[in-house]
Amino acid sequence: MDRRRFLRNAGRTGIALATLPGVVDSLSMRALAHGNDAIDKLLGSGDRILVLIQMAGGNDGLNTVVPITIDKYYTDRPTIAIPKSSALRINDDLGWHPAMQGFRDAFDAGTMAIVQGVTYPNPDRSHFRGTDIWLTATDADVFASTGWLGRYLETLAPGYPATLPDHPLAIQIGTSISLGLLGSQGAVGISFRDPDEFYRLVNTGSSEEVPSGPASDTPAGREIAFMRDVARSANVYAKVVKQAADKGKTTVSYPTSDLGTKLKVVSQLISGGLSSRIYLLSWAGFNFDTHANQGGVAGTHANLLRELSEAVTAFMADMKAQGHDERVAGMTFSEFGRRVMENGSQGTDHGTAAPLFVFGKHVNGGVYGAHPSLTDLDDRGDMLMRYDYRDIYASVLLQWLGAPSTLAQNVLFKDFAAKALPLFNVSSVGNDTSRPMPVAITSIGPNPAVDRVRIRVDVPPLSTAGITVRDMAGSVVRTAGVDAWSGLCEMDVRGLSQGTYVVTLTADRYTAHSFLTVRR
Amino acid sequence: MISFDEKPRLAVADLTQRQEPLSYDDAMHLVRRATLQPTNALALRYMGQTPAAAVADLLSKTATVPPPSWATTPPQQGQPFSEYARLWPELQTWWYRHAIGTPSLRERMVLFWHNHFTADYITVYVAQYLYKQSQLFRQYAVGSFRELATKVVGDPAMLIYLNGNQSIKGNPNENFGREWFELFTLGIGNYSERDIVEASRAFTGWRVAGLDGVYNAQLADRDTKTILGQTGSWDYQDVVRITLEQQACPRFLARKLFRTFVEQHPSDDSINALATVIRSADYDMQSVLTTLLTSNAFYETAVRGAIIKAPADLVVGLAAQYGMLEVHPTAMLAVMTQLGQEIFYPPSVEGWKGWHSWITSSTFPLRQRFAENFILGKTASGASLTDGSGQPVAPNPIAFAKSIANADDPRKIVEATCKVMLAVPTTQEQRAVLLEILLSGIPDYEWDIDTPGAAVRVRGLLQAIVRMPEYQLM
Repeated sequence: MDRRRFLRNAGRTGIALATLPGVVDSLSMRALAHGNDAIDKLLGSGDRILVLIQMAGGNDGLNTVVPITIDKYYTDRPTIAIPKSSALRINDDLGWHPAMQGFRDAFDAGTMAIVQGVTYPNPDRSHFRGTDIWLTATDADVFASTGWLGRYLETLAPGYPATLPDHPLAIQIGTSISLGLLGSQGAVGISFRDPDEFYRLVNTGSSEEVPSGPASDTPAGREIAFMRDVARSANVYAKVVKQAADKGKTTVSYPTSDLGTKLKVVSQLISGGLSSRIYLLSWAGFNFDTHANQGGVAGTHANLLRELSEAVTAFMADMKAQGHDERVAGMTFSEFGRRVMENGSQGTDHGTAAPLFVFGKHVNGGVYGAHPSLTDLDDRGDMLMRYDYRDIYASVLLQWLGAPSTLAQNVLFKDFAAKALPLFNVSSVGNDTSRPMPVAITSIGPNPAVDRVRIRVDVPPLSTAGITVRDMAGSVVRTAGVDAWSGLCEMDVRGLSQGTYVVTLTADRYTAHSFLTVRR
Repeated sequence: MISFDEKPRLAVADLTQRQEPLSYDDAMHLVRRATLQPTNALALRYMGQTPAAAVADLLSKTATVPPPSWATTPPQQGQPFSEYARLWPELQTWWYRHAIGTPSLRERMVLFWHNHFTADYITVYVAQYLYKQSQLFRQYAVGSFRELATKVVGDPAMLIYLNGNQSIKGNPNENFGREWFELFTLGIGNYSERDIVEASRAFTGWRVAGLDGVYNAQLADRDTKTILGQTGSWDYQDVVRITLEQQACPRFLARKLFRTFVEQHPSDDSINALATVIRSADYDMQSVLTTLLTSNAFYETAVRGAIIKAPADLVVGLAAQYGMLEVHPTAMLAVMTQLGQEIFYPPSVEGWKGWHSWITSSTFPLRQRFAENFILGKTASGASLTDGSGQPVAPNPIAFAKSIANADDPRKIVEATCKVMLAVPTTQEQRAVLLEILLSGIPDYEWDIDTPGAAVRVRGLLQAIVRMPEYQLM
């Protein structure tokens, strides 16, 4: 039964409205729905996967997405700037670093989003504090001991870690475990470099076990309990992971770089049916910390960007070839960008805002936000914020992972839902008949529009639906109600300047996005 | 500031000196924390002594290892990559020989300073510089932090690692200046962005020449600057002086020392108490360490076993406990690397984070495999352990059992092995299971340490103990 029929039946059969998703707290609904596959599927996007790629050390955003028409960029960076002639075109004002051909191709195909000027208020220029802030999703002056992914994932597995889900909730390719994956009860994920090595490690020891002593609330007692939990999830998951890796395949040849090798493992596991929702990859040590001799078109930074672009391109091609691109999206992040002005050693010191990339078949490609000003800087000569990084996390949680807004708010400690960017075009996920998509924008016409536009939508008849139009900087420029029964919305676009706008349909807690072009 | 991290802490640390002589358990606790070699023999040496006498003895010990042949020879101009890279493992081996040499507090502190004033061979490249830096740490291991910090500013490995050699008057590189405050002296929140800029100016003037860091006052920015509220034409020595005058500096060091030697979550009161000691000792580490390691706080029951072993503690400690001093360092260093602690290659300038970061779904099983295979004389992957000449070597379980207990009594073997290998007390039930493993089917009255079947049984006991999570604590 798809959601529409469920809702209609609900209306007819008199099920109280309070039992409908979006009306009740979704967690209690989850509990109600437990074991009912159809309802489970209604409640979320249960198999979507997010691949997070950490660029540790502070990526130099200005040399990644290059502001080719800003003179100050060239005067402030006499030895390391990327010449306009070398940059790969994004639009009239921006160009990719020439090492990023793969990202450019994805951008041109509409599957790569560039979010400009991402940081947070009062940005911290420490690697370690900055990284912690990004991983814990807090304000700059708040210290948390759990990560945003950990807080989200532990809600998917009530009883964790006493009761372990069949598959690990998250996987980090490497041997360390990120603060981002720590939940209130410890890590909600496992880490390994290679599935076979992991399996051998766990399964070659003797089986004789000495029983644990009674739980004790001493420092040592807490550490023992912590280690027993880690050991148990390693024991349980080593086999699951190996089975998936053995069954999985890859269809493209991956670069032999560190990131390429890691993404190849991710592909194998997804292909083999592992249902982990989050894959986290950090690579290149702290090499993005380019204080000296960072190079321009070629050199240290160029090599890192090339490794990123080539590995991600291979991975996404592989996902597409295997049909997994429907449910796989990726995102990059780095603890900060770098200073506008280069230093005296042909490098750049720690800065603030930088672009962030979101990619995947269901990503609304494009450039979000104007480039931060290179003249209106903070007192350290660093760029000002266009977007809070949690605006993007909110988009990921709400649109891609299907978290209810109350949960997203809990995970991010604050409500960023209203600031979420329309990064994901999730309505087309409904092509898969096993996953009915309850809302969609079916047509926008005329498009391009000059004065009036008519938007047809498909929403449940009992829902409260509305349309929001945002410019590419994320500012709301129009809102309108939708008549849920007719699915029709008319809107006046006179007064909007020429350009592309994101149209967001919301109905209950579902959203769908499309684009509108205004011509003058 | 708001904190969501409200882990229970021990109350304020009592830093008054303990006068009571050390019991065996106290002495084991001291040598677990103060050295890399927590052996039965060392504990027996200090049992019955006062903490002050034992710590004085530990402070006097030094491992002496001849320098690598290339230590003081500058690299040739234009030599190929392989010529640099060839020396890195030799440097690591040289460190390992110190770690497995004479047990000493000094070597524990050399590792502490390496994890504090970090540098790595990929960035520094020239092994000679890292050799020199390690020797600096050894020289000042238990000496004056003030002098050490001053020397570190112009240390060639540090100049390269944090770009001090590329920081020029008029356009300073901030890398060193930022980490100086954040990671080396004050900790975040105790300085401003402006202090970083001004200190970075004061740190200019350094270059690397040959194997030395050379200061040229002509190249240094000697103009007026304001650092942490003090204005003057400061140079790098002034930055050290002004920084060490801050209240935050002894507190920052105190927290790290607590985490290394006592417990992971010291209370603010404990930190303040040790910071006061550091200040009144004017950063003399010998005096500070003596106070800490002889204090009542250090010997409290609540902190026993409260620290998760670093890979160095696990690997060197296990080798030392079984007298396996001759195992070729390469195998031991390789395990440390796999467990996340490659010596001379910390993951970032913050160093190894320690605590829970040591234990993951990958590293915990590897710790178990390493230790139980080591008991058999094998590496984690199953190859034989060998000595420097390639001959297989393996621990002798019978000799071990006889060295720690009356080996004719299987219960005594279990009890003594637990005491030497585990930092937390075992339960009756755990000892009963361990006894069963030791006897493995024979009745206890038939136990005979001198029969051929005894070795395999003692090995079984040792393997069962090193698999326990408790074995990862110290």
